[in-house]
Amino acid sequence: MAALAGAVVGLALSIGVLLGGPGRVLTQPLPVLFPFARLSLAVDGLSAYFLLVISLVAIAAAIYGPAYLRTHSPEAGPARQAAQVAALNVFLGGMAFLCCAGDALTFLLCWEGMTLASYVLVVSDDEDGENARAGLLYMVMAHGGTALLLVAFLALTERAGAFDFAALRVAAAGLDPTTRTTLFFLALGGFATKAGVVPLHVWLPRAHPAAPSHVSALMSGVMLKVAIYGILRFGFDLLAPAAGPLPSSWGWTVLVLGTTSAVLGVLYALQQHDLKRLLAFHSVENIGIILIGVGLAMILWRQEGAGALATLALAAALLHTVNHAAFKGLLFLGAGSVLSRTHVRNMEELGGLARRMPWTAGLFLLGAISISALPPLNGFVSEWLTFQALLGSASRFHGPAGLAVVFSAAMLALTGGLAAACFVKAFGVTFLGRPRTAHAEHATEAPPSMIAGMMWLAALCVALGVAPGYAMRLLDAPTAGLLHGPAASAVVTAQGPLVLSTALSSTGTDATSISMTMVAALLIALAAMAWVLRRGWQHAPRRAAPTWTCGMSPTARFDYTATAFAKPLRLIFAALYRPRREVTRETAGTPYVVSRIHYAGEIVDLAETEIYHRVERHISALSQAIRARSTGRIHGYIGFVLGALFVALLLFGVARR
Amino acid sequence: MIGPRPFALVLIEMALLVLAGPLVTGIIQKIKARLQCRQGAGVLQPYRDLAKLVRKGTVQADTASGFFRSIPVLVLAATVTAGALVPVVRLGPPSFPLGDAVMLLGLLALARFLTAVGALDAGGAFGGMGASREMTVAPLVEPVMMMVVFSTALAAGTTELGALAAHRGTSWIFSWHAADFLGFAAMLVLLPAETGRIPVDNPDTHLELTMLHEGMLIEHSGPGLGCMLLASHTRQIVSLALVSALFFPVGPVSATGATGLLLGAGTFAVKVLVLATFLALVESSYAKLRLFRVPQYLAVGFVCALTALALRIL
Repeated sequence: MAALAGAVVGLALSIGVLLGGPGRVLTQPLPVLFPFARLSLAVDGLSAYFLLVISLVAIAAAIYGPAYLRTHSPEAGPARQAAQVAALNVFLGGMAFLCCAGDALTFLLCWEGMTLASYVLVVSDDEDGENARAGLLYMVMAHGGTALLLVAFLALTERAGAFDFAALRVAAAGLDPTTRTTLFFLALGGFATKAGVVPLHVWLPRAHPAAPSHVSALMSGVMLKVAIYGILRFGFDLLAPAAGPLPSSWGWTVLVLGTTSAVLGVLYALQQHDLKRLLAFHSVENIGIILIGVGLAMILWRQEGAGALATLALAAALLHTVNHAAFKGLLFLGAGSVLSRTHVRNMEELGGLARRMPWTAGLFLLGAISISALPPLNGFVSEWLTFQALLGSASRFHGPAGLAVVFSAAMLALTGGLAAACFVKAFGVTFLGRPRTAHAEHATEAPPSMIAGMMWLAALCVALGVAPGYAMRLLDAPTAGLLHGPAASAVVTAQGPLVLSTALSSTGTDATSISMTMVAALLIALAAMAWVLRRGWQHAPRRAAPTWTCGMSPTARFDYTATAFAKPLRLIFAALYRPRREVTRETAGTPYVVSRIHYAGEIVDLAETEIYHRVERHISALSQAIRARSTGRIHGYIGFVLGALFVALLLFGVARR
Repeated sequence: MIGPRPFALVLIEMALLVLAGPLVTGIIQKIKARLQCRQGAGVLQPYRDLAKLVRKGTVQADTASGFFRSIPVLVLAATVTAGALVPVVRLGPPSFPLGDAVMLLGLLALARFLTAVGALDAGGAFGGMGASREMTVAPLVEPVMMMVVFSTALAAGTTELGALAAHRGTSWIFSWHAADFLGFAAMLVLLPAETGRIPVDNPDTHLELTMLHEGMLIEHSGPGLGCMLLASHTRQIVSLALVSALFFPVGPVSATGATGLLLGAGTFAVKVLVLATFLALVESSYAKLRLFRVPQYLAVGFVCALTALALRIL
């Protein structure tokens, strides 16, 4: 309940700020906790927008959560449930206050609170040791990221002599370009770890599925966005030079990282059979799509005559932020309903749930269409804007830069197609066909409060898809406030809220305009006409018969499995997956009578094998080498410590001079 | 003729595409039959098939869910909506914005998505295999289509198809750049894949070695199957209309009024006929590729499209 109340307050506050005009900033000093720093909150357009995203998903999670915890693990004691609820509230509070932080210390404290609370939630649902391992990996990677952030922040606060953002901006204005870029990349590293950007994503597909489903929805839908907020805050606000464009390396790095994450995220998602893990990999993909927009905005910002284009790119990224929060939240909640009813996450053991859980299935299908960037729902709108931004900047750049941008557009198209394939698989194997196990056979519909939580997010998906023009007004404050250029609604909805239009060429003569509302209306009208056709001329008989299985009596084993569905793509992209399979045959007496075939297959995550395992090998080799030197004699160790101290002092002295 | 198309004209063009869609299939079948030294069915056979299916009863798989019945309706609606986005008899953007080339490809992808979902619904290996293969080929075709669209859009500065066609104007092949030739070549490579024809798919058979699209339709029957078939006829003519809008947006410019519209319709028919003949020739002279050779075939299109884009930008 506290979470719901907090979310509603957050929603009201953020809409107030967003509609109050671009220059409006709410500041609120906090009680003094530390003698050396004043803590404060400052809500400007960007903060308010992210607060809005957090609140929208938090409302759904708060409606959905209690029933989920009750039905999913009724055997859990009150202590564990209380711990989960408390951690959820700390988690939500941490994220909300982080976006409103007015100084570095509040930011870091909330960042840490958010990380720790989500860690508690990840390990809270522990049935085997798997979650604890996932939590440990998450903890290590998150703190590696935090360390990078800490260095970036402390370098700034040391120059500024204060913690509040206003002082940091002043201090950053005087930085030389090399330091500025170094600090940006440190911060980018920290935020990218949290956002799950390839190759820093390895923790994400393990930790997100481990948490209770409404927390997974929050972690994927919202917590990753907080990292995007951090990148935007650092790139466009704190570290931005006083005048002139950002260093070109920033935007291009973000663009390349985004494109890589988008393609690899969806490719790995395609081969997952764990429903929640599949969704977690899709978060990597969608963060990539958001980063494409962010990177493009960074490249274009303050370039001559590219004001509108930069706004378009940023608006695309921000819109995809809220869109992803809506549909990924919806999908995780849907997966949670399936999980709470069947206690199975592996979709090979599901199937046939659409007849048993029709509401959940319908809402999941809606989310699947949204995330596959298909019209007329919301995923399409933000990808369309991203495409327009990419095309617009491609015609500005010439040479390799333009080609890179266009290539990124092609990769975005590939991502959309693969996402559609992936969700046909996810939806089809989980909800359609026949139930493959007794778990799925005996599933029943989720309780109404869980359906209600999903309905809220589904309504958002539809509203943002059919009438996206109205959401553009909410983007005015963050875009205008951050870029000091034209506002989003002036660029995108110049022809009224029902029409999205962009001036693609730099001259601005030929605008591309689409109207999601009109297309949706046409679609519905045609569907009504087709329904009449579907009913047929006269009321011909309708009967049910078994599915055609070449004359054998149909069983669930005739249904296509997820492994089989994804096999052609697994072979086509074998270079990325390095698939391995083992088929063992048990024969009865003679080799011609096969009594049983056992199949095992797996794919590798390229980042994991190529980077992490190598690093791991080097580290263990190094520790082995050190171990050979540890003789156990105390004075030897004292010698090492003294030597290290001496070197450190020497370095410090050199640096001071 | 060029100029904003009123909304009524857009709807008429859309209806025209839907009505002419089966005819194009019939013509392709007829040409194929003649090339195989057969008499072949009449060109109106697809209409007869549709009329027969609409009158028939329905047999539905007993394991199918509630979605199954609405799938044909939604697939047909999405495909026909895509048909509203291409200019047919007149160039220029619609007077009220509707959708651009990206939206068109998105709507076709929506239709394909729903078809694949419907194929998995009945729960048999045929549907699953068809869905799996279709969703393997589709992600490889769509980006290349998108790149071809981008390569023309970069020159025109818009992705709105009517405006794009109007920008290219009535200059025939004579004003084409190298990028246009390459883009067109890529489109010709993609067309059989997009319309579900040899060498990527075989529309004439349900055999499990070849089927992609047909495999997905196996559990539909009666009026539902009729909707699905009408949707695939429409999808084919929409793809052909997309090619002619991107590369040959030619209609008589001087004529206005009803004459202009009629002449526009006439030229459109000629363009579609030429492309249909191309498809029939390709189908008759090549064998179906193995599924795992299809990516290599599509890679040819990808390289052409990428080079077209590079030439446009460099």
